[in-house]
Formats: sequence, C-alpha cells, structure tokens
Amino acid sequence: MPTVEIDPDELRYLTGHDEKDDAELKEDLFGLGLEFEGETDDGEFELEFAPDRLDRLSVEGVARSLRYHYGDDRGVYVPSTNDAEWTIRVADVPEDRPYVTGAIVRGLDMDDAALDSLIQLQEKLHATMGRQRAKGAIGVHDLTMLKGETLKDDDDSAKSITYTGVDADEETMVPLEGDQELTLREVLEVHHIGQEYADLVADYASMPAIYDEIGLFSFPPVVNGRRTEVSADSRDLFIEMTGTDQWTVDRMLNIVCYALDARGGKVEEVDVEYTDDAPVTPDAGRELIRPDLVTKEKTVAHGDIETMLGVDLDERDVVDLIERAGMDAEPTETDDGTAAYRVEVPPYRVDVLHPVDLIDDVGRAYGFNELEPRYPDVSTVGGRHERSRLEDAVRDRLVGQGFEDLLNFHLIDEEQNYERLNVSQGSDAVGGGEAVTIEQPYSEDFTMVRSWALPSIMMVLENNTHRAYPQDLAEVGFSAHVDERENTNVAERRTVAAALCHAGASYEDAKAALRALVDGFDKDLETPATEHPTFISGRTASVVIDGEDVGVIGEVHPEVIVEHDIELPVAAFEFDLDALR
Amino acid sequence: MKLPQAQVAVLEAASADEQRTIDRIAEAADLKPEAATRAAFELDDAGLLEVTERTTSDVELTEEAERYVEAGLPELRLYEAAVDAGADEDPVQMGQVIGASGLAGDAVDIALSNYARKGYGEIDSGEISADPEADPDADEEATALDALAEGAGAYARETALEDLDNRGLIEQTETVVRSVTLTDDGVTELMAGIETAETVGQVTSEMLTSGEWESVEFAEYNVEADAERVVPGRKHALREMAERVTDALVGMGFQEMQGPHVDADFWINDCLFMPQDHPARNHWDRFALDTPESIDELPTGLADAVESAHREGVGPDGEGYHSPWDLDFAKALALRGHTTSLTARHLSGEAMGDLEPPQRFFSIEKAYRNDTLDATHLLEFFQIEGWVMAEDLSVRDLMGTFTEFYEQFGITDIEFKPHYNPYTEPSFELFGRHPETGEMIEIGNSGIFRPEMLDPLGVDCDVMAWGLALERLFMLATGAEDIRDVHGTLVDLEFLREEEVTY
Repeated sequence: MPTVEIDPDELRYLTGHDEKDDAELKEDLFGLGLEFEGETDDGEFELEFAPDRLDRLSVEGVARSLRYHYGDDRGVYVPSTNDAEWTIRVADVPEDRPYVTGAIVRGLDMDDAALDSLIQLQEKLHATMGRQRAKGAIGVHDLTMLKGETLKDDDDSAKSITYTGVDADEETMVPLEGDQELTLREVLEVHHIGQEYADLVADYASMPAIYDEIGLFSFPPVVNGRRTEVSADSRDLFIEMTGTDQWTVDRMLNIVCYALDARGGKVEEVDVEYTDDAPVTPDAGRELIRPDLVTKEKTVAHGDIETMLGVDLDERDVVDLIERAGMDAEPTETDDGTAAYRVEVPPYRVDVLHPVDLIDDVGRAYGFNELEPRYPDVSTVGGRHERSRLEDAVRDRLVGQGFEDLLNFHLIDEEQNYERLNVSQGSDAVGGGEAVTIEQPYSEDFTMVRSWALPSIMMVLENNTHRAYPQDLAEVGFSAHVDERENTNVAERRTVAAALCHAGASYEDAKAALRALVDGFDKDLETPATEHPTFISGRTASVVIDGEDVGVIGEVHPEVIVEHDIELPVAAFEFDLDALR
Repeated sequence: MKLPQAQVAVLEAASADEQRTIDRIAEAADLKPEAATRAAFELDDAGLLEVTERTTSDVELTEEAERYVEAGLPELRLYEAAVDAGADEDPVQMGQVIGASGLAGDAVDIALSNYARKGYGEIDSGEISADPEADPDADEEATALDALAEGAGAYARETALEDLDNRGLIEQTETVVRSVTLTDDGVTELMAGIETAETVGQVTSEMLTSGEWESVEFAEYNVEADAERVVPGRKHALREMAERVTDALVGMGFQEMQGPHVDADFWINDCLFMPQDHPARNHWDRFALDTPESIDELPTGLADAVESAHREGVGPDGEGYHSPWDLDFAKALALRGHTTSLTARHLSGEAMGDLEPPQRFFSIEKAYRNDTLDATHLLEFFQIEGWVMAEDLSVRDLMGTFTEFYEQFGITDIEFKPHYNPYTEPSFELFGRHPETGEMIEIGNSGIFRPEMLDPLGVDCDVMAWGLALERLFMLATGAEDIRDVHGTLVDLEFLREEEVTY
C-alpha cells in the first residue's frame, strides 16, 4: 500500500496540539486508518494510507482530519475565494489531453517544510488520482515570474495565459533542473524527467504547452519550465492541472487548494475559457470558474445508518457524528416519510460516491471498535461442492495406497510442460493441448498454464533426488488448454496424476495402483495398448474408464527420466478426474 | 544359556583370536548377511561379541588404466624408446623417439608431462634427454597399477594411489566392513554350552494352523531398537490446512463455490466496481492472457448494468467513476487475481441460478498474482473467501462471524481497522492476536459489498464478505518461514514428510 511521509512537528503545529507526544499521535493516526509503518531518516512518520481519502496525502489534510477527530473542528469548511483576474485560454490542445483547470493562491508564508509538503502532495496525487500523470498532472508556478497577456486595454489586472498544442521540434524551453534551452523533443530525449514521462505523450498529435506573454513555461504532463520554479520564498502561486477528464483535474485542484489554504494562503479564482479551437467542451460549458469549491449534497436514511451499524441512534447523535466527520447534516424526511438527513459534503471528499460512504463516516466517527460483535441470526446449510468432495475422496484413496500428495503450481513454461516430456504442443497425446499463455510474464519459468500435471510431478522428482526413496507421488489438480468450444475459450480440467519412482518401479505397479483406485469408485478399467511420446513404446496404454478414453499409463521413457536427472525408473498415469464421477 | 538360533550360529562362527567379516560369518552360519548383522549387533548388546567397523576403500581401474596395464605407462614407453635412441648420452630429436615409442594422439602429451614430472629426463627445444640413473622398474605408479590389476591393491602405497587418482586412472569408493570377535564373556558362555532356544521369530501361517505355536517360545526382540523409517502416504500439508478451514466453514453453514480460473476481467474486476483505470488493472498487475484473449459472451443486460454503475453510480444520490469503461477490456481474459470473481458469478445467478437470502458461501481456491516469487509470496496462492447474504446485515454481524471463524484457529482479540476497498463499504482490515507470539497480526480483509456492486448483479439485500490467504494462515499456524518449500514444484519432500499433521 502507498505511504505518505508526515513531519510530527508540522502535525502538532497544524493541529494546534503541541502537547501530543509521538506515541499519542501514532495512536490517533491509527484511529483515522493511517497506520504507522516506520520513520524516515529525518524523523518523519511513514504512514500507510488506503487510497480513498486523497485529501490526506499531505500533513495539512491529515491535520484537518485530526482536528475533526479531536472535536476541535466540526462541520463543513469551505475556503473563501477572491474573484478571478487571470484566465486560462484553451486553444487547439491535443485531443488526448483536452482538459485544464487552475487556481491562484496568494500571500503564502512558505518555508522548507511547507514546500516539501506541497511537493509530496503533488507526487502522491500524481500517483493516485492522476494515474501516474496520465489522467491528471499538476504544475505549480511562482506567479510573480509569469507575465500574463493583457486581456483588456483599459484593465491591466485582467491577464491570460494559453494552453495549446505545439510542434515538438519547433518550441523550446529550459526545463526544471536543466540549464539550457531545449526543444520539447530534446526534453523528452535527453532530460531525465522528460525521459521518465516521454511515453505519456508519445502518441499525441501535438505537444501540450502552456504559454504566457514571455513564452512556454509548462510542458504538461512532463515537466515545468525553470523560469517559474517555486521556492520556499514564493508567496503567490499559480496552479494549473491538465488531464483527460475535467472532473478529475478539478478534484485534484481542490485538494491542493485546501492544503494551501491551511498554510494561510488566499485562494483566487481563475477563469478557464475553452475557445472555439478547443477540441472538446466540458459538460459544464465553455466558461468555467475554478477552483470548483462547491459542496455536494446526499441524502441518507436514518434507518440505513442504524441497520448498517447495528445500533440504535437518536437524531442528535447522528448529526453530531456527521459534523465530527467534517460534514453538515440537516434532518429531513424522504418521499415515503422516513427519517433521513441531507448531508453536505465538502469538495475535497473525492471518495464519496453513494450515501453508503456517509454511513461509513458515521461509523468511523462513532468508533467501529466500540461495536459489540454478534453472530448473525441467519441459518443456512453448509456443504462442500460435489467436485471438491470427489477430489478429496480420490486424494484419500491415493494417500491410503501410499502416495505422497502434491500441490503444484498451475503455472509452468513450455519447455517443462511439453519439450522435456517429449510431447508436441497441439498433438492429440495426453498433455498435448494448446497452451493457455500469459501476456507479460515476470518470469520465464511461468509463462503458461500447465496442460497436464505429470510434468510438475517430474519436476518434484527432479528436485528431490537427494531425498529418500521410494518417491511415490500423486496430485489431484488443475490443468487447462485452449478450447474454442468453451465460452472462455479455455477448457479447465481436473486431473489425477501419479508417478511411482523407486528401484523396480514398473508398468505393473502403476497399473496395480490405478486398478485399486478405479475399483474404489466401482468403474470398469481397460488399458488397451497405445503410443505416447513420454512413455516406453510397448509399455504404454490408454486409460479407458467405463468405455471412455480418459488418460494414459505407462513406464516413463528413460530419455525423459534422464532428462530430469533421475536415476530410478518411473511408472506413471494421468487421467481426467471426472471419469470417476 | 539359551539364545535364538541365528545368534547361536553367529557365535559359533566367530573367533576370539581373529576378526571375521560379517560376510564370512554369514556364510559359515548359513544366514543372510542382514540376519547375521542383526544377530551380531544383538550379541554385541549382550556383551558376547564385539562388532567393529572399518571403512575400506575399494579401488577400481579406469578404462585408460586397463590399457596401460597391457601396454605400459606412456612415460615408461617413452623412456625406453629414448634410451634405445641413445638419449641417455646425448639429447635426441624428439620426433624420432616418439615415432619409435609407438605413442600417438593424447598419449604423447600424457607421456611428455609425466616424463619430466617423474624425472626420467628433460625435454628442451625439441630434443629429449634421458636420465641414465632412472629406473623404470621401480616406478611406483606402474607397480601400484600392476598390483591393482592383480587385485592386490591394498598393498599399494598411498602416495602412488593418490597420483593415479589425480591422473584419472583409478576410481575409489568407500565401504563399511563389519567384523566380529568373541569377547571373553562370549568364550565363557560358549564353553559353558549354549542351547538353541526353541524360539521363533516370525509367527508363520503354518505355525498357527498346525498348532505348533503352543509349544514354541517367542524370541525376545529388542523392542527399543530403532525401526526402519518408512515414508507413509500423506496429504499435502497445505491441503490439510485447507481441509481444516473447509471443515470450520461448512460447520458454520457455508456452502462451497467453484468456478473458472481463467475468466473475463468483467467477472474479476468490473462486477466488483473496480474502475478500469484502477492501478491494479494495469497491464503489469493484471495476469492477462496472450492466448486466448477474450471471452465469447457476457450475460445479456448484465454488462450494460455494470457499465451504468461505473459511469453513473446507482440510486438517486449515486455517482459513478470518472474513468473510461470499455466492453472489450471487460471481455479480456486473465487468470483471476482473486476468487471474488466466483462470488460475482454466484451473486449474479450465473453460477447456480438466482439466490434468495439467506445464503452463506465460501471457497478455498487459487488466485494468481503477476509478480516475483519470494519467501512469503508466490505467483499463485489459495484465497479463502467467504460471504453471507441476508436482509439487513450490520457491521456487528460481520464482526461476530469473523470473530467466530478466527477463534477456531486460536486467533483472538480481533480488531477491525477501517479500511478502503473499491467494492466494499464499510471495509475493514482484520487484525488478531497470534496464538504463540502474542503479536497483533493482519489476518484478512473484509467489508460489506457496495450497492454499485450488488445492484447490477440483481441483489437487493446485504452481502458481507471477507478474504484471506490460506498460506498466511498456514505460516501463522505452523511457523513455516519459506512458502516456496511448501507449495509448488520447488517443494522439499522432506519438509512435507516431517511437517506436523494439521487437524
């Protein structure tokens, strides 16, 4: 799970609880679902977080949650904003990245800790909601370094910048952590950040670029220009976000605005104007005012809360719990007259999709561990699946006959599955079915699902030649091969495989074991001679159970035995489990 | 004194003055070597006989050595030819000597390197000289080789054997030879006369049917002696744990589910309200198939309902994800990353028709993860999955069910840490106290399925579910430290044979 690094001193400062020692903080954080994983070299807490509360990806958000948790704050808080002076004009941006949003935050009193926190928040948002910048990418700039184009002759306070698409070879910039002017293509090819994110824009028709009057200052989602780099001395910030979805970038922006608001910044709106050249228009229209710090409202029934938590609550308790979760609640009635609450949800809560999410918040505020477990008064009849009973019966039988039961991997590679047993893929021989293969295997040892189980048993024999014999091994397991008659195009087969490996192990021994097994299920067994490339010719038979050819039995060919570095004879059989039904 | 027949025979075949090998004793006593050995050890225990063990090396000549026994060591042949050519007086051209010696191929190199090593002379700029003082008849290696060929290798000198070994001319193997001598007590008892006890070892069928058993005395066995170690058939240790969990769950009223290992992403993820751009669904973490690529059919209507839940949410106040949703991706095949795909198939009615509440279902089946192997993670693991479907389930019911389940494995003090899963709300990570170490450990993940999952599947009551890796439970319960020793083809049979039985 992802982690976030939080400076405990910052946390004490932002919550206003200087008296809390580290141990108390850790316990309080655990209560929020933020588990202490360890400490960094700088003494910061490494906290594991579940990726729903993305507003807690920085110390400011964690502090806000703690203040609600302590009861210092209650209800919804929405920062006030100043009216827009700046406009982002959206021109002919690449269709793959058509959306943008933005905000200005002024009057920040930043220090190194606040800057580190802002950088971490950006990174964590990129990693989560931003889907590694593919869906949403953030650029934060020092506003004083920007020179907007004046929009109106009589009013030089109204300024604009432009988000557009450009040719990778024609436009240039000095990227962050760079010291020379590079074309955008050069940025992607030689600059270390450019290289890391080059894949994201590889298929774009043009390169996303943001301009002010001086020139290109941001190359989203790849890298910002050096000119507008933010430092601990920056007081006024310009934040832009581009992405593939307006809702997503708007919500990422909200989380950043709340964090900077907590640092004493004043949020200022930005006009986002999708011009006629823009390839798409957001659902909300061509002219947007951002950030979109509008609360949303959801209705949750009182009865649903009580049912889900399994406790009786009165109205005042529920309202109190909702306020302690950082939301507002207004008692109301639903259309059919049952008691309910209209709950106002703040705009940083990107995780609330359904009223059930509000019940979870009520439960957390109540304290889930306060609830008394009870065994549900629900009666049902238990039982095993028929096939699992059959598998188990066959396993019991084999174990009683002296076999050691195996539990092998279902994944294998082609060489082990076919070649080392002399079997050709796509042949009619048992085990010769077409391979079900993995698209991008991590390991060359696990590239397909095994088409039979005998190869696995041979591998176990190969890996245990230093262990005592006899090694009579059996597996009731799974195998699969491609079969277009199936809906999934895969035939999944339960298979019974056994191998006897000891001095003198012979066809007769294997047949005796097979006979004993099959007799136990009151089936007819016949073993007409056949050929199979794994076995010695003349000592190989089909396993025919109740008249149906379901497998193979024989003495394994010395070529196969020697290939597995085994120095004793092996007699084996494998057949379909279903034949014993 | 009375002793069993075999012991008397061994005692009589033994001598007080001379160590006799067991083989010799066995022959004299007309016993099988195993029987003679057993009798000898029993007599040793009784103080009548002393068994001594000696390790002897057995030396065998290699094929190359056999040739040299016939034709002589190459360096000696070279020396002979060199002396014949007068190299003991003045250096002689090498080609001439080699030609005369009849050596060819590898033998030439072998001759030359050993020639100089053993001081038969020198080789310098293509000329060979022979030391007139050298005595090929005294060559230790040749002598040892001859002795070995005649079966008198025991008298060969150790250094010579070592040299021959280094040259790859012999193969040495070690065997333990047991010999016995009579002790003073043994001699005394023999003098006093030992009767053969009418004791019987094996109770035979004939003895039983003839009634002979009534008049025999049964030989006393050394009942404390170690018995031969046999390898019994047994169920795989991890399977035993699975059976144990199955028993617990069936006892709690759960019914078992099975279903496809290879399945459409629709059943694995989309039905679970996992957005298609969720990080766990990217091409690295998904266990996508190359062949075959996709499922033929999804149930009519269900795919639309699932897509709608993803896009719009469910209910009047519901919202969907702002993520792409593509039917082709939903139909793409993968090895299931969790067995919750079975739950989805059952809840939808696809597996066994529509289900009416109440229901309890479970499975202990394989799930797959596309990752690297290490001591605690495999590419495939058994997931224990369970769910309860009923009207009006609460978090307290969930807690009660899991507390009951884990207590059956000695895990108590269950804590429920609020957590996040895309398909459950509320969600909890389960922690419990380890029965031996007392530590709080993570033991599972649970929650109540979201309406966005249940509504498209056509379920209009509550369903709570939980999951846990069987391997984790196994490692907790058995203390096994490397799961690779247990599960898969790298398994160590010794581990499986010695692992304590689970019940």
